[in-house]
Amino acid sequence: MRARATRLTAGVLFAAIVYLLAWAFDHSPYVLFALTLTLCYAIPAMALNLLLGYTGLVSLGHMGFAGIGAYVTALLMKKGGLAFAPSLLAGTLAAGLAGVLVGVPCLRLRGHFFIIVTLAVGIVLFLLFNNLDWLTGGAAGLPGIPRPRSIDLGVAVLDPRRPVGFYLAAATIFLLVFAIQYGLVHSDFGRSLAAIRQDETLAASRGVDVFAHKLAIFALSAAIAGLGGGLLAVFLRAVAPQSFGFLEDINLVLIVIVGGAGSLFGPTLGALLFIALPEALRIADSVRMLLFGLALLALALLAPRGLWGLALTAAQRLRGAQSAVSHAERS
Amino acid sequence: MGVTLTALLEQIANGTMMGAIYVLVALGLVLIFGVMEVLNFAHGVVFMAGGYACDFFFVHLFGNYPAVVILTMLTLALVGLALERAVFRRLRVNVPMQIVASLGLILMAQNAAVLLFGPSALQLSVPTVHSLIRVGDLSFTVQHVVVIVAAVAAIVLLQAFLHWTKLGIALRATSQNPDAARVVGIDPDRIYRITFAVSCALAGLGGALLGPLFLISPQMGDLPMLKGLTAIVLGGMGSIPGAIIGGLAIGIIEAVSTLFISTDYRDMVVFVILIAILLVRPWGLFGVRVRGEA
Repeated sequence: MRARATRLTAGVLFAAIVYLLAWAFDHSPYVLFALTLTLCYAIPAMALNLLLGYTGLVSLGHMGFAGIGAYVTALLMKKGGLAFAPSLLAGTLAAGLAGVLVGVPCLRLRGHFFIIVTLAVGIVLFLLFNNLDWLTGGAAGLPGIPRPRSIDLGVAVLDPRRPVGFYLAAATIFLLVFAIQYGLVHSDFGRSLAAIRQDETLAASRGVDVFAHKLAIFALSAAIAGLGGGLLAVFLRAVAPQSFGFLEDINLVLIVIVGGAGSLFGPTLGALLFIALPEALRIADSVRMLLFGLALLALALLAPRGLWGLALTAAQRLRGAQSAVSHAERS
Repeated sequence: MGVTLTALLEQIANGTMMGAIYVLVALGLVLIFGVMEVLNFAHGVVFMAGGYACDFFFVHLFGNYPAVVILTMLTLALVGLALERAVFRRLRVNVPMQIVASLGLILMAQNAAVLLFGPSALQLSVPTVHSLIRVGDLSFTVQHVVVIVAAVAAIVLLQAFLHWTKLGIALRATSQNPDAARVVGIDPDRIYRITFAVSCALAGLGGALLGPLFLISPQMGDLPMLKGLTAIVLGGMGSIPGAIIGGLAIGIIEAVSTLFISTDYRDMVVFVILIAILLVRPWGLFGVRVRGEA
């Protein structure tokens, strides 16, 4: 029971920090911009974490699903004249449906076949965004997505047209997805996924319907990725195919792996590192990109469990050293 | 459909040339995957390095193209040895970290190319690009023929190496069963080194052959790498004949498809076919169905 209370406190504290950042940076719209962008990417990153970290499925085309969410949301708001919330919901559902359509055939494949087919799916989706000019605006994309209307919460009015307002809206969606991630991981369903990750054959022999579990998590993951994509589109008020290309697919995988796949905070940490930090440093210069590549290489070789894993190991070692010291003192 | 025979033959010639390039990339990928179970997503920048190395040697050392191509292959073999030793040997079982390391290598190599050779693409002017061969209404550059002949030579030599030399047989043995190979006294580390060297030399050959026809740019290896990956999946991940047929088929299919549909969708055709084939044969066209694998 105590562990549960601790977890609850940690959750409330985390949510409070996420919300308080808005207040702390109320007067620096640039920081808020970078933070909102980070949240928009943290959502698809958590979606991918459900697959990559918790189920052991590497999907190399996940920004494609985010793209479906982004385009559907953008089209409904821009051409359909729908409001923000229903458009975003439709985008999420469309991405989830695409997840089912892709998942049914592809999830039968195992190991490296699955990885490369998801890569192919991501590229095909990018090429569709890029070439279906009549629908997606082609390479130019869809600019001029209308801003969402303000929401009257009774006690206060949330105005997404102001940077703080949009940050708070994005933070709410982010925390919701974080809660879904938490709830899922700690459910029976989540434990079955972990069993599949560790040994698919054994899981099947213990009565886990492997395909149904994989399909459910793949569809959910695609839907959440679509949610993040839709949010990103409305935040930037434009969608362009380049945001959902091959490099972005790989980038999302990096966010998850470098942050720490299979940990709750890993994807958020990764998004801060890959979205907010380059934004703050204005990375574009060749020398800096070269060093960034070197850092990735070093990370792959030195921290096989990602940064969050590295932090946990370091914390454990520290604790181990402390207990060793106290033992020595006592004796 | 107003597709003339000449246009069709022309696209088949183009497709065979591009297919030969894809085969060179695919062979490297399939060797590394078959022996080490490593997917080298950075194989595209090895290909790109081949293009730049070829250009550098041709301009600064000597103007003999065949000699330059061989020198390029040797250089890339050394690069392969370094990559295996420093990076991929340690990441053999960790697929996610292979992806991270590959992207690190891609960023390093592409930005290093920009820093060393400038941001604009290079044009390598080899005599064989400027002379044309005419057969009836068909015309293509001598370089097309050079690419195909060089690729065929590389494939034949590779097969001879794999089947008739002790080292090649040891390599195939390691790929079939690493533990059994160790039992009969094969040093797997040595095999991994050789596999990487050969694979990178083949990718370097691809870059050196394609460089003069297209432009040499930091991104020149991206699409060949993706097509090479597609080729080895089509071929069944681990089958060398599968990789050869897969690579050629992709080159010809995408070239011929441009006669019927917009070139915008050329790259899509290949990936859609890949998905469609895996739906019917989840273990690839030439792969063997392994229990628990497909």
